[in-house]
Amino acid sequence: MARMKFLCDSERCIECNGCVTACKNEHEVPWGVNRRRVVTVNDGVPGEKSISVSCMHCSDAPCMAVCPTDCFYKTDEGVVLHNKDACIGCGYCFFACPFGAPQFPNGPAAFGARGKMDKCTFCAGGPEENGSKEEFEKYGRNRISEGKLPACAEMCSTKALLAGDATVVSDIFRDRALRRGKAGDAAWGWTTAYGKPEQAQERTQERTREQKQEGGK
Amino acid sequence: MQDQQPKNLKRRGFLLAAGVGSAGAVALVASRVGKDAAKPLTTVSAEEKTGSYAETPHISNYYRTARV
Repeated sequence: MARMKFLCDSERCIECNGCVTACKNEHEVPWGVNRRRVVTVNDGVPGEKSISVSCMHCSDAPCMAVCPTDCFYKTDEGVVLHNKDACIGCGYCFFACPFGAPQFPNGPAAFGARGKMDKCTFCAGGPEENGSKEEFEKYGRNRISEGKLPACAEMCSTKALLAGDATVVSDIFRDRALRRGKAGDAAWGWTTAYGKPEQAQERTQERTREQKQEGGK
Repeated sequence: MQDQQPKNLKRRGFLLAAGVGSAGAVALVASRVGKDAAKPLTTVSAEEKTGSYAETPHISNYYRTARV
């Protein structure tokens, strides 16, 4: 069984906020709620790093542990989802989450007036029937059931934000890290993010050979 | 003592009307709430929920482009 994960490659993220926009557009997220956002560390300093953050679909999710109505559940693929019908908007999950993923449509408000919690669903909808109107209104589009991956990752222009089967995603990132061959604060820029030009040429040639072999089969 | 007996009791009818009216309003609201509560939930169980992750050509293409 595949396990779904997000991974953001800070060397490639250019802080374009395309992922944020894609998410808001795909799910028609209400004004004031951001299921995903881009965080920049050392903003303005040479070597600054940006990463795109949303629900990380934790293996041992603290939001699930603190929810008094037990509205969270985890799918077979490790996606942490919640049932808005059971949510009472208490905000415990917001305080428990280290990533600030849970969002409330009414913002900070006293006496439980926050509204139902909203968060990234890994584009996997909710407990309602797949693709139903109710599911879309509460949780947004269910792209996983359509055979697609989260819109944020598919939209990422530099492929900094990776999503999908954790094994494949980690393989992709490992390949990138090996190509870069160096680490540390001094390692940044085009070569670090995409490898040296000769390496890119080698990869292109390898890929062409593979495609020819596949075509010959 | 007989002079202290109220001669006109009609004005107390207001209290009766108010009581009946409020009971009717409560019954009306309760019946509507009951209808909403009786609506079947559209949630489906985990066993019934289909359409989980599968590596479709669309997803394979995404993985391929991410390797560039």
